[in-house]
Amino acid sequence: MNHFYKKMGQQTAWNWGAEWLKKSLFLCLVLATFVASAQSVTVSGKITDATDGSGLPGVTIQEKGTSNGTTTDFDGNFQLTVSSSDAVLVISSVGFASQEIVVGNQTFISISLTEDVTALGEIVVIGYGTVQKSDLTGSVDRINSENLNPGPITNPLQQLNGRAAGVNINQVGSEPGQGPAIRIRGITSLIGGNDPLVVVDGVQGDMGLLRQVPPSEIESVEILKDASATAIYGSRGAAGVVIITTKKGVRGTAQVEYAGVYSFESISNSYDMMNADQWRFLAAERGISESADYGGDTDWFDEITRNGSTQTHNVAISGGNENFTYRSSITAILQEGIILNSSSENYIARFQGTQTLNDKVSFTFNLNTSTSVNDYNGAGRIGEALDRRPTDPIYTDNPLYDDTGDYFIDPNSFAYINPLARTKEIVDGDRTNNLLGSMRLDYKIIDGLTASAFGSWRRTARKYESYTSARTTLENARNIGDASTVPDINDLPDGIAFQENNYSDEKLYNLILNYEKSFGDHSFNFVGVNEYQIQTYEGNSLRSRGFLVDNEGNLQSMQAADPTLFIAGDVRSYKSDRKLASFLGRVNYSFKDRYYISASFRRDGSSVFGANNKWANFFATSVAWRISDEAFMSSVGFIDNLKLRVGYGETGNQQGLGPLNSVRLANTAGTAFFGGSLISNFAITQNENADLRWEVKKMYNAGIDFGLMDSKLTGTVDFFYGKTSDLLFDYQVPQPPYPFGTIKANIGEVLNQGIELSLNYYLIDEADWGVTLGGNLSSIRTEVLDLNGSLNGLPLETDYVVWGSGGTTGVASTNNAINHLIIGQPLGAFYLFKHAGVDQDGNQIIDDLDGDGVVEDGNRENDDRYLAGQPLPKLTWAFTPTARFKSFDMSMVLRGALGHQIYNARKATLSTLSGLGQRNMLVSAASTGIENITYASDYWLEDGDYIRLENLSFGYNVNTANIKTFKSLRVSFIATNLFVITKYSGIDPELSVSGGGGFGIDYGIYPRTRSYAIGVNATF
Amino acid sequence: MKYILSSVSALLLLGIMGCTDLEEGIYGQQVADDFYATPIGVNAALADVYAEIRGDWNGKGIAGADRGWFDLNESCTDEMMIPTREDGAWEDNGIWRAMYTHTWTGSQEFIGNTWNWLYRAVFKGNLAVELLEGAGADPAQIAEARVLRAYFYYMLMDGWGDVPFYTQNNVTVDQIPQTDRAEIYDWVVSELETYVPQLDETIGGKFYGRFNKWAGYALMSKVFINSEEYSGVGEWQKVINACDAIIGSNNFSLVQTMYDEAGEEAIFGDRLSDEEVILSMFVDGQVAPRNIIGIRTLHGPHSTALFGFGGWNGSTVHQDFYLKYDEDDKRREQWLVGLQPGDVTYNLTISSLTSAGITDGVRSSKYFPVPPFDGNSSTSNDFPIFRYADILLTKAEAILRSGGSESDARALVDEVRNRAGLDDFAGTMTLEEIYDERGRELCWEGHRRQDMIRFGTFLQAHDFKPVSDAKYKLFPIPAVAIANNPTLTQNDGY
Repeated sequence: MNHFYKKMGQQTAWNWGAEWLKKSLFLCLVLATFVASAQSVTVSGKITDATDGSGLPGVTIQEKGTSNGTTTDFDGNFQLTVSSSDAVLVISSVGFASQEIVVGNQTFISISLTEDVTALGEIVVIGYGTVQKSDLTGSVDRINSENLNPGPITNPLQQLNGRAAGVNINQVGSEPGQGPAIRIRGITSLIGGNDPLVVVDGVQGDMGLLRQVPPSEIESVEILKDASATAIYGSRGAAGVVIITTKKGVRGTAQVEYAGVYSFESISNSYDMMNADQWRFLAAERGISESADYGGDTDWFDEITRNGSTQTHNVAISGGNENFTYRSSITAILQEGIILNSSSENYIARFQGTQTLNDKVSFTFNLNTSTSVNDYNGAGRIGEALDRRPTDPIYTDNPLYDDTGDYFIDPNSFAYINPLARTKEIVDGDRTNNLLGSMRLDYKIIDGLTASAFGSWRRTARKYESYTSARTTLENARNIGDASTVPDINDLPDGIAFQENNYSDEKLYNLILNYEKSFGDHSFNFVGVNEYQIQTYEGNSLRSRGFLVDNEGNLQSMQAADPTLFIAGDVRSYKSDRKLASFLGRVNYSFKDRYYISASFRRDGSSVFGANNKWANFFATSVAWRISDEAFMSSVGFIDNLKLRVGYGETGNQQGLGPLNSVRLANTAGTAFFGGSLISNFAITQNENADLRWEVKKMYNAGIDFGLMDSKLTGTVDFFYGKTSDLLFDYQVPQPPYPFGTIKANIGEVLNQGIELSLNYYLIDEADWGVTLGGNLSSIRTEVLDLNGSLNGLPLETDYVVWGSGGTTGVASTNNAINHLIIGQPLGAFYLFKHAGVDQDGNQIIDDLDGDGVVEDGNRENDDRYLAGQPLPKLTWAFTPTARFKSFDMSMVLRGALGHQIYNARKATLSTLSGLGQRNMLVSAASTGIENITYASDYWLEDGDYIRLENLSFGYNVNTANIKTFKSLRVSFIATNLFVITKYSGIDPELSVSGGGGFGIDYGIYPRTRSYAIGVNATF
Repeated sequence: MKYILSSVSALLLLGIMGCTDLEEGIYGQQVADDFYATPIGVNAALADVYAEIRGDWNGKGIAGADRGWFDLNESCTDEMMIPTREDGAWEDNGIWRAMYTHTWTGSQEFIGNTWNWLYRAVFKGNLAVELLEGAGADPAQIAEARVLRAYFYYMLMDGWGDVPFYTQNNVTVDQIPQTDRAEIYDWVVSELETYVPQLDETIGGKFYGRFNKWAGYALMSKVFINSEEYSGVGEWQKVINACDAIIGSNNFSLVQTMYDEAGEEAIFGDRLSDEEVILSMFVDGQVAPRNIIGIRTLHGPHSTALFGFGGWNGSTVHQDFYLKYDEDDKRREQWLVGLQPGDVTYNLTISSLTSAGITDGVRSSKYFPVPPFDGNSSTSNDFPIFRYADILLTKAEAILRSGGSESDARALVDEVRNRAGLDDFAGTMTLEEIYDERGRELCWEGHRRQDMIRFGTFLQAHDFKPVSDAKYKLFPIPAVAIANNPTLTQNDGY
């Protein structure tokens, strides 16, 4: 009652309340007599930072138990009128420990705030809002900029490696421009896509958006892991959400920062292939004709690889005053790959500013433009080099053709490719220009109620070019055309020029209403959002072939091609779009800062959902209990913080649905000869499904956050149980009546359950030196629960689905399945034949497991196959200690994975001796004695467990007190991928764990590099 | 105050009204229902059926792409073999050897490919018939669609016997019963007898590569000559009638100049001769590529020397078949043996099926590559589906089988012999002689399996092939088809 009266006195603007007030004025006056002597006191004061005594702006001073409060001004001064001298003031600010003080007789209060060591007061970004870490009810990991991995970082995901329990950053090989994949809490979907949603300063996008974020500009990364946190993102949140907040301007004098890293990279491991002498020896032993030996001595792998390097430079300037702050930066990330002719350059420029117009309205804008240029030569080059005989020379004096330069080509080999020619002569690269702009208007309507309007627009333009000349020795680029009209084969035109343009245009706008209110012990927050997004993709491609002058200049004059050589499909264009409309809301309520409950709801409508299922609803709720605040816990001294969280949520996944998948189309399908001439052919090209919908993930999460021994030891334990149902999958359908053999349908269930643990321990925390031990581990089981269901009454059932196969030449397609989806088993379980030895002809002997005297053929359920392992690790862990001594610091990421296997298909192909005449083999091949592999057997299944020293860095803070130009200067040395301990015999045990078909099988990857880098960070 | 209030309400209103437009942009694609309702769409539906004959590169198509219908019907006979070479080439998990020695199973790739191709073609045929009849199109066009569909069912029952049968799309699988071979045969016969006479009579031009009336009769002759296999009753007189319709029209004759690779009178080449070839499949190396038969038989250096790209060194024929040609037979020239350009020598004898010498085996130049080429992926040779020489020999066979005049039969065979540079046949014409003549004339054109089954030689042993069980006269229903439709009954013995 009283405070409302006070409010009326202070804010006379609320006309519509005045009527009501007049009526109850008498009531108020009556009630007023019951209130204890209300002698209002005005108190003023100054809040300072304990470390340097400077005034702290923006600190909240609140009369405890009321909504009466104010904030300090630029110099840290405040003034507040409170109800009585008994009033308690609560002084709080982000990053500082809160304090409470009784007003008493003081009229001027001076308080200095110290930084909050436990960081419980930290603000964590969750969907469409922020919350204090102490008030969090879901499972969210926050990684601050100082905890991000340092080094030659080319993609923000590399900075997160090993930093969050249950989050797997998967970098396969070190190809320039190729970022890692991220999987949060296991594999959510089979073919529906497993990439989390990426949100950067409010702009939503896919993994590509990360390339536009300069790694040194990241302030914090929040990873939303459980469904109660991600449900707010509805049909895009099933695979988790990564929220990146970039550094913003800070008011005060302008500050210039520079961060640079230069690293030297070398290949960490390669295959032990035979050299020329070893090959000759083995070939002679096997009676291979001498005509296959061309007398050379070449180490092909060595010829096409080199040492690489990466450098990153970032210059940022920030500054501002009370009403306007800005931050601007320019970044360059340059990578030279370890295969010749491969590289990546990424230039990013951004400008971010916040303008406060008055105490109600503020305006933030963000401009980001980037250009990335790539030159490609990928893992295929490695494969070609490993296959080539070492006795083939690189060059020859008598080339087979005039137009392939001096490169050697073996006339007796089918489609012979000279690896060095293929690597050096190819022109293959792209250039992408990105432009991103966003604006946000925040309007504080009344105390506690804010409205924001946000809009973002992102445009990407990618131009891809490739020119394949005859000198690459690729057969289809050589002698194109009609030999009957030209006397000499070598005068036929050569070369294929190809260009592709892709454009994307993504617009998002949303309107957020945020209401916060605290009264007494109750605190309440409501968020309501309406959002609309539209993404449009279009592009075209052109190809022409057969040029008289065979070089890449033809890319700029594609009309010089032979006009008779155009075929259908040389010119293409496309366009498609996706739209998403959403309504969502969230309510948070807390009582006594001890009991929390949160609930959210989202309704999504998407254009890619089938006509029968256009709108989707997602609901989530979570509760938390701060046990450590309870009276009965006050005697337990060593526990400073103990919070229990339980949550449940539903999220969706629509990545796997493409535009127009659910519609029956008559697509262009090549040509038909009809009516005496060739015409464009139109045909139905897919079995459409009008019931296509999003996949649904329902997850339960229970977690405990704790802080012990004066918060020296802090940690979190989470248990989660998540089921994805309505899984998108390609089901085989009978032909007839379906014209095509498969249909996409939402049937099937996958389970992800596991436990995550993360710990942080301040072992030593003195002024001069300190050691912290940190780490996390997670154990996740991903299991296929069900693959059966029905579509329109047609039972769609399947089990023992082949998920990865092949890659081992010679194995019959009826026996080459390697890993499967089996109901009740881990995803991608290895289901293999059992190798029992090699007979005298060099063929595999396979164990007859069911004892019926015959080894059954077949890739599906087969009693002669057995469950031999799983590709996903049972346990992944990371150990991240840091140490500091005076001005030196050290940090390290040691990580590993246990309990999984890898199928080394690459080794299998490089060991089958029957191909020795045409190819090169591993040195170990001779001793295996295997001529032909006819079954996918467990002989090539290896233990994939590994421990990797991912990152080791040492830094030194130079004392800049006496150096005028620098405010701070830090020099560091960082080693990445220093060593790997593993039994796996391939070149690296870390393969794709994306969950898609064929994962867990090593078909040959781009080599991983070891790098040594020096870094400089300076502020001026 | 009012200003703030109204602006906030405006923002809120904007949000609530919001955008809920969820229409998918079509952007140049065609929604099937709308497209096929237009006259262009109706025409396109028929054209698509022809495109389906050419098929795709995944073994679906009548000929040209490997591992499709052509390979299914040729690699199990004595006139084409692809041995595994001593350097491991063409090992391909034993699929070629399995076909040659009659040891295939329901998971054999060619069988699955062809089954799926034919049922996709039936789907498109049903669609074309439905659209054309619904649009009240020209009876000749409707007849064309119906004959095409009957053609696909003829191939299905020829290969598998009892197969699922349906003539309306948009049905569920339980509405498609597995129908007896004899019933399907009856249906095919009635469709052909009703609609072939309604087909257009134009030869070549707009009807090159399409079913005109003569192609329809050629199909009828095929269906009837094999009728004893299909229904148990031999309809020899109907064969003779169908052949007479073609012969009597005087539109066709045997081209006298054979194997002139570059000349216009050639039977085989970029465009097949309208004089002798009744139905062709159009191929153009660049815009409608689908013929690897010619490249597949040549060895790498040989074809490189001639064309600039390597051949595949795959298909050959056993020496026993080659030796069936008389020394004077002009058709012997199509078989390449001995020294060739590119310093390649083809050996007459094939040493083994599992480890043949690299240049073992006689090669065929029937589909000698003609440009334009698609690298080493396709030449422009068109494929002959029905040929006049076949009609003559078929009529001769029907005459003998029905106990007709031996001299009439011999005269027909003599026409073919004379064209091949041989004298008239001395002695009595027998079925066995016709069988051999068919082999010599129509080799590598997709007829051999039917001929071998009809003449009873399919299961016999020859060179590397042992005697095979009677079940192999039919292909097994593909394992995948049975897995997806468990109501299907597999053919006996599989």
